[in-house]
This record gives sequence, structure tokens and C-alpha cells, in this order.
Amino acid sequence: MMGGYGDVQLLKEDGTRLDGRAVDEMRPVEIKVGVLPAAQGSAWVKQGLNVAVCAVYGPMEAHPRKIQRQDRAVLDVRYNMAPFSTGERIRPGFNRRAREISKVTAEALESVVLLERYPRSKIRVEIEILAAEAGTRCAGITAASMALADAGIPMRDLVVGIASGKIQDTVVLDLDKAEDNYGQADLPAGICPNTGELVFLQMDGDLSIEEYNLAMEYNFKAAAEIHEIMVAALAAKYGGGEA
Amino acid sequence: MVAPVPNLLRQEIQRLAAQDKRIDGRGRWERRSVDLEVGLLYNAEGSAKVTWGDTVVYAGVKFELRTPWPDRPTQGSLMCGAELRPVAHVKYEPGPPSPESIELGRVVDRGIRESGCIDMDSLCIVPGEKVWGVMIDIHVMSDGGNIFDACGLAAIAALRTAIVPAERFDVGEDHVLAVSSTPIMASFTRAGGRFVYDPCEDEELGGDERIHITLGDKEHLHSLQKGLKGAFTPAEFAEILEVARTQCAELRDLVASKEGN
Repeated sequence: MMGGYGDVQLLKEDGTRLDGRAVDEMRPVEIKVGVLPAAQGSAWVKQGLNVAVCAVYGPMEAHPRKIQRQDRAVLDVRYNMAPFSTGERIRPGFNRRAREISKVTAEALESVVLLERYPRSKIRVEIEILAAEAGTRCAGITAASMALADAGIPMRDLVVGIASGKIQDTVVLDLDKAEDNYGQADLPAGICPNTGELVFLQMDGDLSIEEYNLAMEYNFKAAAEIHEIMVAALAAKYGGGEA
Repeated sequence: MVAPVPNLLRQEIQRLAAQDKRIDGRGRWERRSVDLEVGLLYNAEGSAKVTWGDTVVYAGVKFELRTPWPDRPTQGSLMCGAELRPVAHVKYEPGPPSPESIELGRVVDRGIRESGCIDMDSLCIVPGEKVWGVMIDIHVMSDGGNIFDACGLAAIAALRTAIVPAERFDVGEDHVLAVSSTPIMASFTRAGGRFVYDPCEDEELGGDERIHITLGDKEHLHSLQKGLKGAFTPAEFAEILEVARTQCAELRDLVASKEGN
């Protein structure tokens, strides 16, 4: 992903980005819950041009039996990209990238869902990416925590997926496709907006410790903004709305 | 996954049928509300979302450049596939494509292909060397019954609003994909002993055989499929074919109303 593209101009002379955003500005985010009638809970997240939709089923009996845990529920999480979600069509099927993202997403959600409430059961979380413009794993995590909330699964906190990165030696919030392709670093995080904890973290590229700190500061700032949109989306369906 | 009370459901559907009623209150040939949106997905060259009652389906069109088959040097190709992913219902499991999803994709594919709405010669760029491959992928997101009709509608709407991305492949200017007609599917399930149009989830669960009919612009038949266990008479088929004619014409107008935006 990184390197070899140093000559691509991603920042304009006035310091703004190609799409006109300031360095600490995220793409527009829209969120809806209850979008899939067949699911127990569901959510739709649009972040920039990314579209992530998530369905939650369960809690249900865990099959096969060997996956059961006597003291808690297991989360069965799948992240999948639709064949038409990318520039070149991708073949249907579970690839290595999807497997890894599914695994770390599951671990992020396990950190907030009160699994001990549902011994020997399973909760299925199905994340489908319908359009990809860099940042789909983050949109997927946000969608998953919203779908779990919509399904009435008790959680300690929501999880906001958000990434910052580095382009042309400058730290920026929420990389778009060009910035992701030609940038120097990407730092996606899963943030619990109420507790301020991190439950998901990845990074690739090259960041100094100062740059990491700034990127994470941007992530936390954006997480607070996205959290407000999440609460508003839940309030739109269920009423209330004070975070 | 086995549904818990299909026998009680069957009895209830039977009881209602005797009074000429359906479990969701509709008339026998009445359709649920259908909403169609097109061009809503970045990266897909054509896309459509169909919300059909509790069923939600997306379709996306992608193009690829390929070498034509030696015996058909001027012809491009069309492929239509459907995925019944576990997102769509608790009954769908992860894993390789199920027979149900393969049947679904193939029935939709046949209706579009056999209608001749895409002239395969129009997909030729350089004879013998370069042709377009058109791929329609259907993603079922919520199965609330009658996914066949929803998939057929999403596929043809995505196709009819698709832009051929010639500039990206450096083979000329982007242009609208030429699609000369609008094949539409109508599906029927035997519920309570008689056929009903547009079965809901309960009717599929407690019902018997289903019949899928795809009609073209001139009301010619382009694909038929009988699925599941059960038998029907020619008179029954004649009756549902009449219903299909009306319903398909209405849905064809719906697709037309979304084009040219």
C-alpha cells in the first residue's frame, strides 16, 4: 500500500486535501438502524462513499456444540465485501483479508458485549460492504455495534470505527481512497466513546510517536462526532437521545 | 435450520385460504409495496436496491475486458449470480454457494439472457481480441419472502442504468449500456391449496410448490421454473400467467420511471 508513490500530490497549496477537507475533518457520516426486516437488529452506515450494512441474529443456541462456552456467548462475526463493492469485481468467497478483519472485529465486539449474560449461546454478526472507498473495516465496526444495539444485546459501550493516517508527511483524519492508496500510514482504531477505551487497533506504514499521538487525537475527536450521529440514529428509531 | 411450527402455520394458511384470505391480509393476486432505487453504490457501474415488503436486495453490475471465445469472436458475455449470504436470514449458513442460491442466480440469468435484451455483438470492441464481459451480482440482504422477483427486478434495473466504463479501460468513451427490453419475473407459491402471487415469508414456509415466470416487453415467456415438491394443472398455470402479465407490466413501468436520471 505505502511507498513508491511519493510524487502523487494529495495536499493542495492551501493545506487542504483533494476533496476540500481540512486535515482534521472526516468524511460525512450517515447512520440508520433497523434497515433489514429479517434480522433481529441491523444498521446501515455510509461514511464518505463507503456503505456498510450489518445484520445481527441471536442470541441462539450455539452449533456445533464444541464452539459452546459454558459461561458466555460466542460471537460469530463475518466481514464480507460484495463482488460489486470495489473497482475491479472481486470473486465471492472468504479471502485472507476478510478472515483477518472478521477476527479482529469479533475481538473488538467481544470486549463490549456482555457475553456472560448468554451462556452456551451464539450471536451472529454479519457485516456486508456494498461500496468500498477506504475505511470499510471501520465503517463495518461502527455498523456492527449499532446493529447489536438495535438487536437489544446488552453492551458496556458502543464502538466507533475510525482511522487517521499520514499523507505527504502530514497527519490527516479519515483517509479516502486516493489517500489510502498513495499515503504513508493508516491507523484504524475502534474507540468506546463513553469509556475512552480502545478495543480495536491496527496500523501499517510509517509514523513517528508524535505523529501517532496526533493521529490518535484526531481519531478520538472523530469518534465523539460519530458517536453523536449513532445516538441520534438510535433515538430516531427508539426515542430519547441524550448521550 | 428447521422452522419451529410449520404445521400450525400450514393449518392457519389453509383456514384463511378457505375464506379467500391471506396471512398478511392481502388479496390473492395482490403485491406488497415495492420500492426501487438505482445508481446508489459507488464502484458499481450500475446498481439497484429493491425493497419488496420485508425483502431487501441489492444488485451491482461490473465490467471486465476479456478475450472472446474462438467460435464467437464478436460476442461479449453476460453472467448473473446471486448470493444468499447469512446476512439475509437466520436460516442461511456461511459456506460455499447453496443449491438454492445457484438456482436463484440461474433463473434470473435465464430471464435476462433469453429475452435478448443485451445484444452480445454490441459488447465487441475488437473482433477476436477484446470484448466486454458484463457481470451482474445480486446480494440478498433481507429475505422476507419472494426473493426471486426482487432479485430479477434489481438485476434488470441495475443493468438498464449501467454505464460501460470504457475510459477506465482505455477503449473509448464511457457510454450507456444498450439494453433493448425489460424482462420481469413474477412468482407464485401454492399456499392453502391454491396459488398466490408474491408469497411472503410465512407463505413460503407453510406452502408447497412455486412457479417463476419471466415475461419480456411483448409478453413473451423467457424463463420458467417450477421449484419444490408439488404438482399443478395447465388450467392453474393459465390463471397465474394472466396475473403475471398485469404485474410484470406494472413493474416494467416502475423500472422505466427510474431510467435516464
